[in-house]
Amino acid sequence: MPERIRHPPLDIKKVKQPKAEIHLIKDQCKGCGFCIEFCPKKVIEESDEINARGVHPPKIVDESECKICSFCTIVCPDFAIFVTEKPCKDAC
Amino acid sequence: MAEKKELEPERNGEQARIGVYVCHCGLNIAGSVDCEEVTKFAATLPQVVLAKDNRYTCSDQGQELIKNDIKEHKLNRVVVASCSPRLHEPTFRKACEEAGLNKYLLEMANIREQCSWVHLHDRITATEKAKDLVKMAVAKAALLQPAEEIEVPITRKALVIGGGVAGIQASLDLADTGYKVYLAEKEPSIGGMMARIDKTFPTMDCSICILAPKMSDIGHHPNIELLTNSEVVEVKGYIGNFNVKVMKKPRYVKSDCSACADCSEVCPVIAPNEFDVGLAIRHAIYTPFAQAVPSTYIIDMNRCLNKDGIIVCDKCIKACERQAIDFDMKPETAELQVGAIIVATGADVFDPSTLPNYGYGKYPNVITSLEFERLINAGGPSGGRLIRPSDMQIPKRVAFIQCVGSRSEKNGRLYCSNVCCMNTIKDSLLIKEHWPETEIFVFYVDIRAYGKGFEDLYRRARKEGAVFIRGLPAEIVEDRKTHNLWLIGEDTLQRELYKIGADMVILSIGLEPRKDSEIIQRLLTLSRTQDGFFMEAHPKLRPVDAATGGIFFAGCAEAPKDIKDSVTQASAAAARAGILMAKGKVTVEAITPISYIEQCKLCGLCTKVCPYNALALNKELKRVEIIEAACGGCGTCAAECPFGALTQNHFTDEQIFAQIDAVTEHDAENKIVAFCCNWCAYAGADFAGVNRMQYPPNVRIIRTMCSGRVAPKFVERAFLRGVATVLVAGCHPGDCHYINANHHTQKRIERLWKKMEQNGLNKERLQLLWASAAEGERFASKIREMQTIIEKVPPEEIGKAKKVFEKVSGEN
Repeated sequence: MPERIRHPPLDIKKVKQPKAEIHLIKDQCKGCGFCIEFCPKKVIEESDEINARGVHPPKIVDESECKICSFCTIVCPDFAIFVTEKPCKDAC
Repeated sequence: MAEKKELEPERNGEQARIGVYVCHCGLNIAGSVDCEEVTKFAATLPQVVLAKDNRYTCSDQGQELIKNDIKEHKLNRVVVASCSPRLHEPTFRKACEEAGLNKYLLEMANIREQCSWVHLHDRITATEKAKDLVKMAVAKAALLQPAEEIEVPITRKALVIGGGVAGIQASLDLADTGYKVYLAEKEPSIGGMMARIDKTFPTMDCSICILAPKMSDIGHHPNIELLTNSEVVEVKGYIGNFNVKVMKKPRYVKSDCSACADCSEVCPVIAPNEFDVGLAIRHAIYTPFAQAVPSTYIIDMNRCLNKDGIIVCDKCIKACERQAIDFDMKPETAELQVGAIIVATGADVFDPSTLPNYGYGKYPNVITSLEFERLINAGGPSGGRLIRPSDMQIPKRVAFIQCVGSRSEKNGRLYCSNVCCMNTIKDSLLIKEHWPETEIFVFYVDIRAYGKGFEDLYRRARKEGAVFIRGLPAEIVEDRKTHNLWLIGEDTLQRELYKIGADMVILSIGLEPRKDSEIIQRLLTLSRTQDGFFMEAHPKLRPVDAATGGIFFAGCAEAPKDIKDSVTQASAAAARAGILMAKGKVTVEAITPISYIEQCKLCGLCTKVCPYNALALNKELKRVEIIEAACGGCGTCAAECPFGALTQNHFTDEQIFAQIDAVTEHDAENKIVAFCCNWCAYAGADFAGVNRMQYPPNVRIIRTMCSGRVAPKFVERAFLRGVATVLVAGCHPGDCHYINANHHTQKRIERLWKKMEQNGLNKERLQLLWASAAEGERFASKIREMQTIIEKVPPEEIGKAKKVFEKVSGEN
């Protein structure tokens, strides 16, 4: 449909959007960057800090954008990242 | 009636016996042209055997007269001086054929649209002009040659582009007649605008309830192949034999889908649903609305987390019990062979955010009529409760503003959008039905309740208490705290200013041409009116045919119209396409090029300018081969050939020279020779006549199919013969009926201008005009402008031009 959308959806508040909590185990990271590369929402990026293994671990840019696909967990060779869903009382 | 017995031998030995018929057209012609005098004059012209005048030549008696004369007086050429050949040429051609005369031996002089109607108040000069026009027609007629039309078989399948209500109706009608139909729709579901509307006027039927059965018929019809999410990317061929490529974008969901919605429930991605104008959300895997056809879901790859073939999120795949999801789907191109194409591409709605005074997009409670439709719809985002976006409350005072994006010079849309008045009246009744105490104000320019049952509905709305105020608000101001709105403007009936408060304002937005009409226009070589909607072959008598053969229009693609009119037009288009396919064959007008092999130097210029690739250079046989069925008949090749090795049937060099010579025989220094293309400029000149726009009478129009036919030598011949000014007029660039043939016209004229300048001639004497069939006034004002140029051309200048172009004519 070609019309430009000018009003926010009326039911946006009614939709339960799961809120993600991303957990990074920074010192376990070897800096391969897979999680950053494959994240479909670009929720994480490389940080400036240096971890115990002497590499730059990822940092979280915008947690609210995360859709909990958990692909980062799947691709991480070092089990250094995982995502949990925030319990509903905080989130919705 | 005057008769003349002596005959003059024609150049090639055959004797032309021309009969001239001057039509009074009641008083339409006779009112400002002395038809008897024109007839007497015609009888004196060379090779004219008889000349007659009668009241209505197009009547049965008129046609019988021609037929009898052809037999009795052995006429072998007929000239009818009457209305535009665009109107009655087929009529008289048929009459000739019935009397055994080849139809290409008829010539018409347009003394109505281009003479009597545009010179209403000057009988003497109008009569002189009519004589000249008859003289030109006789001169051309003497050189006419009989021609046979070739027959092309027709593929008995049709393509319908666009699956709105018009496309649906056209497809069903054709499929029920027994023809195979391909229905191509760009969106994931058919239904179009009608599926989004709540109720229809004036009967207040539920829109989707009456449309959904038709949509489902499309899905189940054995003769219909539905191609959704598909776009036409290439159209080749010609009437009866189109080869169409349709690109089918992947849905990523197979047709096994049972539309259970398990997938969309687990999809983590949300986006505004375009079907609801963004007022509701959807997921990345979705169906636009419940009644969608096909009911198969679709994945929006711009939103889905899975990109470039990497399955990051497999929630939908896991949720789908029928395993219908397939991320490996690729775009497919379907190649279709069809005989007819129906264009039912619909219209867009105007975007009111370009009007800052109404604050649409800035004030939350200013919405469009389309958004209103979704809000009031029980299946819409608010479940049928009319709520204002700022606080989700039901408004107590609602204002409608009419003509937003219609009938306004400010935003460049001068036309009336046809549906908005009645839509607003319907909407106000809907509000009154649900919430009777709501106050409703309608700000309008004129209320146009022209159709069956419309006036009743309008009365009902007034009776129900809707207040109609004439005069659009100049501005809408918002109360920042409450988001209530103030409308400020002038009531032009009461002649007083108003400032009216409202909780919600609905902008009754107009319809506009689809933004991608240009693509369809290019693919199908169509033309468009000034407003941007597609142009029909004749506004009265061929309202659903495109000028290009085998293409028909249905619905808002041609002009804004309501559902009833769209359906009517769709059925008409289906009938027109059906007639074509039932015949099974079509004849191609014999206006194709003729090549003279001995003159051809094999330069290949003609093959380069041909818009249809209908010419091919055969180097072995040392000649140009003409693919007649592919030829559109513009004649650009003939104009391009520098060696005179190509000419166009029925518009030969000799015939056009004869017309020029006839014009310039007397009083050339006060005349304008105008070469007009059949589709735009000539039609525009006709339009000027229909609207009785008056312009100077010294213009003589020579019709060619395309301005691309106008060879520089024609212009040079006119100047050589001492004419004051020459006009070459064609379609606007991009609107050419022959794809891009007028592009070459421009190049040729520019070359002529350069030549004139180099030889010290006033280049203003040659004018180039782009005028569409609707731009009668543009044509008329150009003639007025050229009249002032003529007054500035001294006799020495004309003599000088004669000398400059003398050399050229020697070559011819």
